[in-house]
Amino acid sequence: MNAGTKKNTEVDELLRKALADDLPADVAAGMRRRIANFRAAKMADVAPVHGRRAAAWAWLFRRSVWAALSILLLVAGILLQGERASSPLADRISAIKTQYAVLEMPRR
Amino acid sequence: MTKKADRSTKGMALIRWLFAAVFIFAVAASGLFSGLMNMAGLFYLFFGTAAATLMGFTGREIAGAFRQASGNAGDGETLARSAYFWEAVARNAWILGAMGSALNFTIALGRESGGIEGIGSRLIQSFIVVLYGLVLAVVCLVPAIKLSSHREGVRLTGKAQAEAGGPRFGAVRITVPDRIIGYVLFAAVLALTVVFLVKGQPQAGPLPIGRLLLHWPAYLVVFGGAIALALFVGAGAGARAWTLGFALTGIIGLLMGLIQALFGFVHRNVGEIASAVAFIISASMLTLLGVVAVAAPLEDREVMEGRREGASWLSRFFWIVLPLLTFLFLVLTFIMVVTPMKQTVG
Repeated sequence: MNAGTKKNTEVDELLRKALADDLPADVAAGMRRRIANFRAAKMADVAPVHGRRAAAWAWLFRRSVWAALSILLLVAGILLQGERASSPLADRISAIKTQYAVLEMPRR
Repeated sequence: MTKKADRSTKGMALIRWLFAAVFIFAVAASGLFSGLMNMAGLFYLFFGTAAATLMGFTGREIAGAFRQASGNAGDGETLARSAYFWEAVARNAWILGAMGSALNFTIALGRESGGIEGIGSRLIQSFIVVLYGLVLAVVCLVPAIKLSSHREGVRLTGKAQAEAGGPRFGAVRITVPDRIIGYVLFAAVLALTVVFLVKGQPQAGPLPIGRLLLHWPAYLVVFGGAIALALFVGAGAGARAWTLGFALTGIIGLLMGLIQALFGFVHRNVGEIASAVAFIISASMLTLLGVVAVAAPLEDREVMEGRREGASWLSRFFWIVLPLLTFLFLVLTFIMVVTPMKQTVG
């Protein structure tokens, strides 16, 4: 354990000595500018997409949207039923009922 | 409680269950009620109830409830949860019985073997599933009532701490896979039941079962109404909002269908009556499906996780009344279908 700690200290010291000097000012400024440009370009691509997506999700989970949608479904269902919308089940019931009526006729 | 007394209680409980099983087997084997046999209905009810139970309870909770029903001791809280479990199984059986009848009724209407009389007898046969549901519900209510009375005894005598050696299952959060297994099993049981029913009743015309089960106005009214009502009741009511939403929409839908059918009789319009009858059958089936697959499992989790003490009286009221109403409306639709009309207008 002690040997390991000593080795780490030596490596730290070596690194500190090797990188003792700061970068030249113009190099540092150039690097900062490049990093800033890169980040700006990246954010310009990503931020609107993220923002739009988050807004879409937020909109989707709003209670008012679900309330409006459910009322629309309900009204559409009631209107369809009121118009006697045909369905295979309704057609089949209709056919069976007619068959019963035909069966009944000769008896009377 | 001594070990000897505990063993004796368990032995007695086992003997009682054995007697019940032998009695049911003897009745089935005697052929006395052979006219009441519906194998697809039995399969649907037993496995459907088991799958519906898995949607709302963990394996640990189910095992604990079974152990306590067979005589194991427990503290007040554990007994209350076990009693609730058995009540929920009874509820599932009763609701699924009525739903199975509506499903069977729809399929019987779509088949055409044996002529018009064959259709009539198949429609009546579909009511047998309600009977099965009722019998299974009564069987499951027995342990629920017994465990409730035991709990009362434990509470009154203050023996809760002394008898806490039995199985305990505290508030266990159900995981997503648990629920998915329940839902997958439930869907599989429904699909297999439809397959068995369709195989058992030869088809006359090219009428796929999927199309037969789709009466769009009923879907729109039930789901739209249930979501709207649940949102209106608000998040504060928890899962009860969904029970209320589905149940009230279902009752309103049934009444709407009945009124439309009565108008159809007045106008002597077969198309109007047929549309109303299709609406009643589909709406009742979807309402019960919503209650058993959406609202009830959510309420079960609220109780088992300790967020509520038990189901509310309103939920219990709808759990009992809704299947009963469905049964009565199915009988009414049967009468409407077989009642001949003198004059028909497109």
